[in-house]
Amino acid sequence: MLLQLNNIFKWVNSGGQRIFLLKDINLQVEEGEFISIMGPSGSGKSTLLNVIGMLDGFDEGEYNFLDESVHNLKEKLRSNLYKEYIGFVFQSYHLLDELTVQENLEMPLLYKKVKGAERKAMVADMLDRFNIVGKKDLFPAQLSGGQQQLVGVARALIANPKLILADEPTGNLNSQQSEEIMELFKQLNTEGVTIIQVTHSEKNAAYGSRIVNLLDGRMI
Amino acid sequence: MLKNYFKIAWRNLWKNRLFTTINIVGLSVAFGVAILLSMDSLHELSYDKFHANGDSLYKTFITWQTPKGTEVGTSQPTPFANALQSEVPGIEKITRYLETDALVSYNEKEINLDAVWVDADFFSMFTFPIAQGDKKNPLKDLSSIVVTETTANKLFGEKNPIGKTVTILVNGKQEPFTISGIAADSPKENSLEFEIALRFEKNAEYEETKERWGAQYHEVYVQLQNGVLATDFEKSSRAFTNLHYKEASERLKRDGALPNVSGNFLQLGLLSITDVNFTSFTKGYAEISRGATYLVLGVAFLILFIACVNFINMSIARSSQRLREIGMRKTLGAEKQQLFFQFWSESLFVFLVSVGLGILLSVVLLNDFQTLFRTSASFEILISPKIILISTVLILFITLFVGGYPALLLSRLGTIQSLKGKLETSGKNRVRDALIVVQFSIAILLISGTLVLWEQVEYMQNKDLGYDKEQVLSFPLDGKRNSYAAIRLLRNELAGNPNILGVTASDNNLGRGKDGSQYTSVWGFEYKGKTVKTNSLVVDYDYIKTLGLELVQGRSFDNNRENDSQVVIINESMARELGEDNPLEAQLPVGDSLGSPIIGVVKDYNFQDISKAIEPLTFFLDRESSLNYAYVKVTPVNMSNSFDVIEAAYKKIEPNTAFLGSFLDENVDRTFRREKTMATLITSGSVIAIILSCIGLFAMSLLIVAQRTKEIGIRKVIGASVISITYILTKDFLKLVVVAFLIATPIAWWFAKDWLQNYAYHIDLSWSLFTLSGLLAVAIAVLTISTKTIKAAIANPLNSLRDE
Repeated sequence: MLLQLNNIFKWVNSGGQRIFLLKDINLQVEEGEFISIMGPSGSGKSTLLNVIGMLDGFDEGEYNFLDESVHNLKEKLRSNLYKEYIGFVFQSYHLLDELTVQENLEMPLLYKKVKGAERKAMVADMLDRFNIVGKKDLFPAQLSGGQQQLVGVARALIANPKLILADEPTGNLNSQQSEEIMELFKQLNTEGVTIIQVTHSEKNAAYGSRIVNLLDGRMI
Repeated sequence: MLKNYFKIAWRNLWKNRLFTTINIVGLSVAFGVAILLSMDSLHELSYDKFHANGDSLYKTFITWQTPKGTEVGTSQPTPFANALQSEVPGIEKITRYLETDALVSYNEKEINLDAVWVDADFFSMFTFPIAQGDKKNPLKDLSSIVVTETTANKLFGEKNPIGKTVTILVNGKQEPFTISGIAADSPKENSLEFEIALRFEKNAEYEETKERWGAQYHEVYVQLQNGVLATDFEKSSRAFTNLHYKEASERLKRDGALPNVSGNFLQLGLLSITDVNFTSFTKGYAEISRGATYLVLGVAFLILFIACVNFINMSIARSSQRLREIGMRKTLGAEKQQLFFQFWSESLFVFLVSVGLGILLSVVLLNDFQTLFRTSASFEILISPKIILISTVLILFITLFVGGYPALLLSRLGTIQSLKGKLETSGKNRVRDALIVVQFSIAILLISGTLVLWEQVEYMQNKDLGYDKEQVLSFPLDGKRNSYAAIRLLRNELAGNPNILGVTASDNNLGRGKDGSQYTSVWGFEYKGKTVKTNSLVVDYDYIKTLGLELVQGRSFDNNRENDSQVVIINESMARELGEDNPLEAQLPVGDSLGSPIIGVVKDYNFQDISKAIEPLTFFLDRESSLNYAYVKVTPVNMSNSFDVIEAAYKKIEPNTAFLGSFLDENVDRTFRREKTMATLITSGSVIAIILSCIGLFAMSLLIVAQRTKEIGIRKVIGASVISITYILTKDFLKLVVVAFLIATPIAWWFAKDWLQNYAYHIDLSWSLFTLSGLLAVAIAVLTISTKTIKAAIANPLNSLRDE
């Protein structure tokens, strides 16, 4: 088992009232799964993804990741944990504009303090694998949306994460680019990477092995 | 990783070229200015610190309790030093010190040198090392003299001067002296400057005043024995003053003076040599104030502070653009420290470049700085291990703090908020607002300071001093000839020239001439049961007419009356001091004579610096004492031509002496040179402060606009006009300027009032002046901010409302 959410609640206080963003979420994810989180706008999809990615906290409940109790961990250890095991892919790519493709890929490795030679090898490997060797010295602004997202996925993968969290990875892409990215995810999944994606599209959700439906912060 | 930091830093800085340039320009200017200003103030502060015995060296002064309050004098009578050394315990060494000009001739050469007349101990007390000659006691013999290296070069060229004989004009006679030592040129930070040192016993007044306690004309320096405190010495000297100044004490008591806390009317005081340069006696006590120097240092730090505030505000302003990057980096696994170091390395980069450029700037501007502010400060003063260490630490500290603060703020942001591009605005605004208020307070403070200073300088320049300063020029009569002969020859030379309206002379100059000297001669006497003190001035015929003084009573000295050398003329202050109904019937007890009748009263005029109130003054036509300055009145046409004519005439009379003539208005200007320098300094400081503050404001307007883009968009969509939006954006920040105005004005008022107390004649502080500086600050601020706010206000709201 990769991770387990038990009775997760998350709320904000607004005008004296407690508004629930997540309400009693129970979720178990096994290694090798490909889960799609679906639901209307404001149902808490992204919040759930952020909680799983440890970017955001929660107010009540338990979260176990690889036998570690995330809810008890200090910020530093938590960040070590997600640095080690989780890769993120965003709708708007979030590449660092002032870094080249190659440097963008290198960034997570720098933060993980990977040695220079090894780092170079890993970056070259990843460029090769995604067929973007020719674009390694370009800046994000010089790439198309699909290519940028490709780099985004490559960057998420470079540190060999167990889990990839993707928040509407194809939201800004046209249908052909979307399909390419989803195919890539599917292929990664068969290679053993666990993937959790947030999506609006039934078609994209179909790539996954399981669908989690959310409405007003609750799983249905 | 480090390489990566710098790479990213460089790219980020390059991407934001405008900001980087603004920051670097601002910081470089601030660093450059700070280097120059602190150099200047360190130069001032290190005055007289080079003496090895510095801790035990003191200048003596005496505080008198007079009926009008306390008075302080540093002048002592000739027998004072010897008596003090033998009667009061604790003195290691003592020297009298008299500074005059001396006309020195060697072969055909004749040079006027800045001379000090001192006792033999002088060179063992003070650190003026003897480079050649008798190193231990160069002034052993009465006829031995010491010259500085520069002076030796002037007099003798390359030849070895030791043992050479020169003649010096003393009391109108040529006396031979032997060079027994060459002193190394002293450091610039020296208030005991001299070109030639002679034995005190040789000075012109010595023989006449050997036994006289009433003739005070020179200073006395002492070196206390090890372990003797100045305060103890002052206490134990009371018996000495009571003995030797008994009569004076009694007179003061009789005239109604109140004794001081220890019950005495006179008190000897010691002033540490390192304080001498910073001491003023004008208020009736020894006031040691390094304020002006610290003010300069303060301005340096204020400017640096403003530039640093800019940097902080601009970094924060830019952070809203970098939120996504921060969030992204955090999701990629960046820790707080790593983010901190990344942002800090950017700051470090900017600071290093700025410090480098600042140093370069200060080197380039050094010469202009020295001329503009009349300082001889140079980089030598900064090149000491201590200073370098302190400034390195200071710069590191500034970099750490100024660069670190925004870095810390940025690295602490929450991941999700920053990914969404939302800035948490609570709390942080308070820091920013406070910084801007301080920044503007400084600017307003400096603007007000500038206005007050210039108004006072203007006032002093334009004040009617009571004499004709535009058309009269004066020059020192320091040649070989007897001054009366010289002035007679000058009259003959200039006679018949239609442009010359009058020639006269006196023993003192008005204002400060090109020779740079100024002195006061005070005469005290008993008059109808009380002590009267008056300034005395020996004049030649036509003095009152030539200088355009106004006679309110009686007549002027008359060439045709034989007895006029026995009579005196006084000014109105003196008339008041005497308290006579008709001063023309009074007589003054001059010398041994039965009394000198007063023949005239002139209207009060500012014969001393404008900072001083007009004191009593008595004119003598004393043909026994020499005249030191000639005055020539010219017609207002062709003045430079007349100047040349006078110079030529004087050259003919004294071919070996330099002609140091200047018009009296220039002389007067020279007396407040210090104020002018300070005004220039504060003005430059405030201009720089204002420019830097505006840069900061510009950054702030960017911040406001960036934070409120969405709000602006929404307001426009629902129908707000450009003007109303500009108003909303400007309002918040105008509040800050108003707060700054409220804070700065009382401080500026207080400082200005305090400063103006130093001037007997000064401007009245008016609210309009402070209002003006406030309005000026507001106007500059609004102008700066409006470019950005108006642009934001007229922008298409669609752009600001589009998400993602």
